[in-house]
This record gives sequence, structure tokens and C-alpha cells, in this order.
Amino acid sequence: MSPATLESYLLVGAVLFTLGMVGFLTRRNLILMFLSAEMMLQGVAINLVAFAKFRGDLGGQVFVLFILTVVACEAAIALAMILMLYKRKKSLDVSLWQELREPDQEPILDEDVMPPGDKPAEFEHLTPAGAEPPPSKEAEEVSHV
Amino acid sequence: MESRNLIWLIAPPVLGFVAIYLLLPQARRLTPIWGGALAALALVLGAALLVRTATVFVESLLFYAFAGITMAAGVMMIAQKNPVHAALSFALVVLSTCGLFLLQAAPFLMAATIIVYAGAIVVTFLFVIMLAQQEGASSADERSREPFLASLAGCILLASLVCILHQAFDTRHLDDIARELTQITEAKDDVEIKRLSCLGDPTKTDISKLTRPLVEKLKEHYPEGTRGRAEADQLQIQWVRMEVEPLKKTAQSLLQAIQSTGSLALYDVPGKAKTPGHREPGKLPAGNVAALGKTLFTDYLIAVELAATLLLVATIGAIVIAGRRSEVLR
Repeated sequence: MSPATLESYLLVGAVLFTLGMVGFLTRRNLILMFLSAEMMLQGVAINLVAFAKFRGDLGGQVFVLFILTVVACEAAIALAMILMLYKRKKSLDVSLWQELREPDQEPILDEDVMPPGDKPAEFEHLTPAGAEPPPSKEAEEVSHV
Repeated sequence: MESRNLIWLIAPPVLGFVAIYLLLPQARRLTPIWGGALAALALVLGAALLVRTATVFVESLLFYAFAGITMAAGVMMIAQKNPVHAALSFALVVLSTCGLFLLQAAPFLMAATIIVYAGAIVVTFLFVIMLAQQEGASSADERSREPFLASLAGCILLASLVCILHQAFDTRHLDDIARELTQITEAKDDVEIKRLSCLGDPTKTDISKLTRPLVEKLKEHYPEGTRGRAEADQLQIQWVRMEVEPLKKTAQSLLQAIQSTGSLALYDVPGKAKTPGHREPGKLPAGNVAALGKTLFTDYLIAVELAATLLLVATIGAIVIAGRRSEVLR
């Protein structure tokens, strides 16, 4: 028999799609929401490539190429928009934009208090440049002259 | 579908999404050990119950490895509090998906996906995360919106997808057909084939009056007018006439179709136009890049032009949106 059936590839695609959907619905970070949407697209791409393989038709692979194009465009626009949104609110939290909701909707408020002492993790930084070196004597003399 | 069967189908998605509910970042969260163990259990259960691979050991192993890494990294991505780690998990999802592409004879797509996703998108996202959150994680990353409802929605979606996929693409019932076809191809002489055609009732010796369950099963799967139906008819005629060598040849051809596609339904579709990229089922052209280029620039030429236009418009749009100076900076 063939090593893995079509059904198993389609299952992997379905799981990735669902995980992406759950991530998009739950996460509040704008960037993570976009990454989740792209995980959904990955699930779709697995489906298309599997059909291309099992039907012997390259059309599926061509579709994935077009998905790649659309993803690249989407990422460019999304990053530009995320930067603009960040400039306005100084935060990537999507709940800060909930004034855009429908007029009859209740606002979402954080009810649970975060446990104390659970300090948010520090992010990786570029190391700052070292201390300014003390001016050497020669340089001082030159500057006096 | 039997209800017991249904329960086994639904168990892995339900377990998986209980695990995800436990793993999602929340204000009060258990240690991630429980959720992780439950997720691992769901993965193993799903692999044991739903995925069906066969004898080719290395490819099965690679499939299990790549599929497992993909799903585990996907769960990690939506469960990480730290967005940088989540972006790196997404890179892992992309890389193992590329492994799956390679297993499915798509080397060009593998390279293109790695370049576009891992090379460009993930790096740019990391850049933006580090640019935007220099003061550390915000509390928004430590909470989720409606984790219970979202997990429930995901569970329902995945369970229904699994059931439908199982109904439409399950190939377990093909094993009998494949086994009987193998028996025919391996038969030594016509005596043995006569014995085969009397399967289940060796007292009947008049083979021309027997209904052959194999032929009936084949006819059930191939709609009228397909090549598969024609071959099934041919098989029946040759069987009645006891033409041993042609019979073996026809059985071999049918067997190959079942083995290469894993499904009879995909063998032949009536009215399907042959395109340059289209080959026999399960057989893609050898030169992937050349064949892909040929398909791209013959069948999908207008779409390629449109994609180029889309890229141009997106570039201009991104520059216009991001390049605008805000009033504060002026």
C-alpha cells in the first residue's frame, strides 16, 4: 500500500486549520492573531498538495504557489497596519481597539486578577553599545592644541 | 456509522481540545504538565485510531515524525505566553510542514515555503515584536479571550471534519479488494483461479454462473463510463472465459491503481479534461520544477499575471500605510 493514505494528510491539514482558528479566536496579541491565520493557510496548503499527489495533478501545487503569493502580500499589509495601530495605542493588545465594536455590544473587561509576583518575562534585546572609552592623553593634547 | 465507531472517531479531537483549554494562557492556570500530557495522549490516540499507514517503513516513520512535530508545534504556538517563542514555534510548524511537502513529491514548494515563510515572514514578525514591545510582555499576552468557547468551537469543527473525512476517504474496505486482486495475480495456473472464484463455496464448480463478489465490489466503486469500470468489466469477461494471462494483467493494473492512490474513487473521474500537469493518479511528473513551470505558464497564465499585479498593489499599499508620518513625530 502507499505509505500514508490521503486521509491521514487531510487529517493533519484539518488539525492545523482548527488550531489556527482557536489561536485566532483566543489570542489577544495582534501579531499572534496573524500568525494563527497563516497557520490556517498552512493547513489548506497541506490539503492541496495531498490532492495534487494522490490525483497526479499539478494544479494543487500551483494553487499552493498562489497561496504563497497572497500570504506574502497579506503579511506586508498586516505588518504595516500593525505598526500604525501600535503607534496609536503603544500596545499590541487587540482589546484596546474594542471601541470599534457594535453599539449594542458589552465591552469585554478583564475580570480575573493576574496572580501577584508573576512578573512578565523580559524580551530579548540587542545588547547596548559599551561605555564610552575615556579620552586618551594624546587625544586631549591634540584637542588643546 | 456505528455509534461505537463514532465515539472512537470523536475521542481524539475532544481530548485534544480539553488539553488546549488547559494550556491556553489564563489568569489562573494549572501547571502545563497536565495539559501537555493530555495533548500528547490525544496525538497518540489519533495516530493509533485515525491514521493508517502501511508497509513502507521509512516513509511512515517520516510521516509520523513530521505530522507529530507540526501538530505539537501548532499547539505550542497558540499556548505560548511569550510572543517571540510563539513566532519561533510557528517557524517550526512551517519547517515540518515543508517536510510533509517533500514526502508528497513537492520539492519546489518546500523550498519556496521555507524561503517565503521562515525566511521572510517569521523574521519580519520577530523584528516587529522586538521593535514594538521593548518594555517586556504585556498582560494581554497572559490572558485569552473566551478560551472555553473557542476550544469548544474548535472541537466541534475538528470532530465534524474527522467524521466527514473518515466517511469519504477511509480506505479500509479496499483491503479486501486488494487482497483478492493479489491472489489473482499470484495464482499459478487456471486451477487455482477456479478455486479463487469459488471462494466461500467450494462445492460450486460451474464458474460462469457464480456472481463474483470482487467484480461486484469493483463495479460499486467505479461509476459508469470510467476507465476503472471498463477494466472491471474486462476482468469479469476474462474471468468467465478463463483467459489466465490477460486476467492477471487486468488484475495487476487495477491493483496498481488502488495501491498508488490509496483510493478507488480517485482512480478516474468521468469528463475530466487532461491538462499538461495531469498524469496517472499517484504519478506526478519527474521534473517537479519544469512541470510546475509548464503548468503555471500554460493553464494558469492569467492567474500568474493577476498575482504579479496583486504583489505590486500590496507593495504600494504597505508603503502608503506604513510610510505616513504620524503627527507626534512631525
